[in-house]
Amino acid sequence: MHAPASSAAPGIGQAIAFTVLSQLAGAAFLYFVLKAEGGWQIVGLLALLGAGFYLLERLPWITDYAMASMARVPLVTLATAAVVVLGFPFVVGSNTYVLHLLIVAQLYAVLALALNFQLGSANIPNFATGASYGIGAYVSALLAINFGLSFWLTLPLAALAATLFGFVIGIPSMRTRDTYLALVTIAFGVVVQQLLNNFDWTGGPNGLVGIPAPSLFGHSFADPLVVFGWKLPSQANFYYLSAALVVVAIITAHRLHGSRIGLAWNALRADEIAAKAQGINVAWYKVLAFAVDAFLAAFAGTIYAFYVSYISPDNFTFLVSVTIMTMVIVGGMDNIFGVIVGAFLLTILPEKLRAFADYRLLFFGVVIIGFLMIRPQGLFPQRMRRYGGEP
Amino acid sequence: MAELLVQQLVNWITLGCIYALLAIGFSLIFGVLNVIHFSHGDVAMTAPFISLAMAQLLATAVGVSGPVWLIIAVLAAVLAVGIIGIVLDKVVIRRFRDAPAMMALVATVALGIVIRELIRHLYPQGSNPHAFPRLVSGVAFDVGTVPISWFALLVVLLTTALVALLFFFLKMTPLGLRIRAASEDRVVARMMGIRDTRVFRATFFIASAIGAIAGLLFASYAGVTRFDFGVMAGLLGFSAAVIGGLGSMPGAILGGLIIAGIEVLAQTFVPDGASYRLVFVFLLVIVVLIFRPAGLLGRPVMEKV
Repeated sequence: MHAPASSAAPGIGQAIAFTVLSQLAGAAFLYFVLKAEGGWQIVGLLALLGAGFYLLERLPWITDYAMASMARVPLVTLATAAVVVLGFPFVVGSNTYVLHLLIVAQLYAVLALALNFQLGSANIPNFATGASYGIGAYVSALLAINFGLSFWLTLPLAALAATLFGFVIGIPSMRTRDTYLALVTIAFGVVVQQLLNNFDWTGGPNGLVGIPAPSLFGHSFADPLVVFGWKLPSQANFYYLSAALVVVAIITAHRLHGSRIGLAWNALRADEIAAKAQGINVAWYKVLAFAVDAFLAAFAGTIYAFYVSYISPDNFTFLVSVTIMTMVIVGGMDNIFGVIVGAFLLTILPEKLRAFADYRLLFFGVVIIGFLMIRPQGLFPQRMRRYGGEP
Repeated sequence: MAELLVQQLVNWITLGCIYALLAIGFSLIFGVLNVIHFSHGDVAMTAPFISLAMAQLLATAVGVSGPVWLIIAVLAAVLAVGIIGIVLDKVVIRRFRDAPAMMALVATVALGIVIRELIRHLYPQGSNPHAFPRLVSGVAFDVGTVPISWFALLVVLLTTALVALLFFFLKMTPLGLRIRAASEDRVVARMMGIRDTRVFRATFFIASAIGAIAGLLFASYAGVTRFDFGVMAGLLGFSAAVIGGLGSMPGAILGGLIIAGIEVLAQTFVPDGASYRLVFVFLLVIVVLIFRPAGLLGRPVMEKV
């Protein structure tokens, strides 16, 4: 056992070395997973991941040590993270498939973070995140196609529309709970998806085609990105855009978690009646959780629509909402880092399981069930809130 | 108009019975384990495939086919699905009975994926739809000018018989008493010397076997079966159980009839209603749950302080 004394207060040099090296190791691991092909490589990397989590489970001081070192040198941590995120496309180079996976994973990370406000912080089930995601995508796409609005204008409008939808689902949440509430949200999700599938002006089952690529300062996102003489494929534009959205989502989540709203949500989760007795407006905070979820999900939906330039109701089914729920539960409820890891894992894993060809969905289902049985608290469970002073 | 009305009435009752049978399974399992078994629909829809495989096996191995053998194949499928239910409970679902509700829900959704994929891979050409015969054919009698098929009659009679049998079983037999006791309060039931493993086994067998009958009737009603029918069957059965009130048997039947009613109404009276039927069904679900948050016949949730 490593001396616990050092885990409580790592030296500054130690802390810097640890944060930089651990983040680089994480990025390298992600790179190898993305590059891996063939069944054995994937199985090997998965085994490595499993061993890592086993180690974390057996030696909990590692997590404490990591948290302490990152808290010790926050600027170094952020700088390393920024370098890793900004530099990743350069390492990947012209491999557009890997970039595509990263974009989708980042969008799912945003969706999972959005759902985390409800499922993680307040323990409110919501199977309609997929619907909010779809509303965001459709509203922005329709505005862009029919009225020629630019991407940057449709973004807030789509978010507004989805937030209204969030309020609409939130209202029944004041009366129902648990399984009954889960069904209400499932019902909303199915209704939205079915309407998108049937209306003429949404293109019906064929969806919407030809959503124009956004542009910024005269640079079209459909063109390759040229940075200091490096030429990156056009996907890099969307990679950076979705990375920016992830950063916004993380900041939002972090600030909300630290605010009175986040505390009120946690109080709701712990005991609704006790929360009510403390003067917390339970109904309002529940509805607010729905609205925040829908708001962020719509952002992800807008970027998705403009990125693939083609959307159909099949992209926003009940199973999409279930996948997002699974990401939050697998990653760890109410843990921002865990939720992001969960989103990346569950986006990349099914893609990589293509090595198992036709059996990948089967394998995916088995992995999820096995995971929930072995580690029900999620990869990174919620940490205790810390209030000021020394950790 | 009268003809249309009678015809739609028959459709409504047929479909309502099928949904009610599915909903009973959800309600029974929830009542005893407090777990939503979301893959119940998928379990139920394995029955048509098992009976098709069985009938083919009998036809090739024994060299016989015909109505008697079809009945044997169907009975074998019901039995097999009951056993599948027990196995799933033992391997997966039981482990989530004390977990947060949403975890069980997500785990059983994943289980549904696994079941569907297994059907797709194990059954020859499992990705394609397979024709499923009417279990009985022909016209029983006429109401005015509307012919009432034997099939509709079979569905109604079978459902009535099953429900009566289930009520008798739950109210009159020792095992039924134990199931009701465990559903009332599992901890107290254990203290009274009721082995909950046996209760779970019996519950899953009954729920899955009834689900299998519903699955067979559903495939027979549609005339076709596909590996992914379980998703919609599960969603509709679950909705029926919830708006009736989870854990309540009369509620499940009422819920099934209501869901089928709105579906048939939408198809008959709304222009282009067939494609919007799910919208109507789930809007109704939302409205019911806003006004009766614990379902129509469910026990209202008491807030304890």
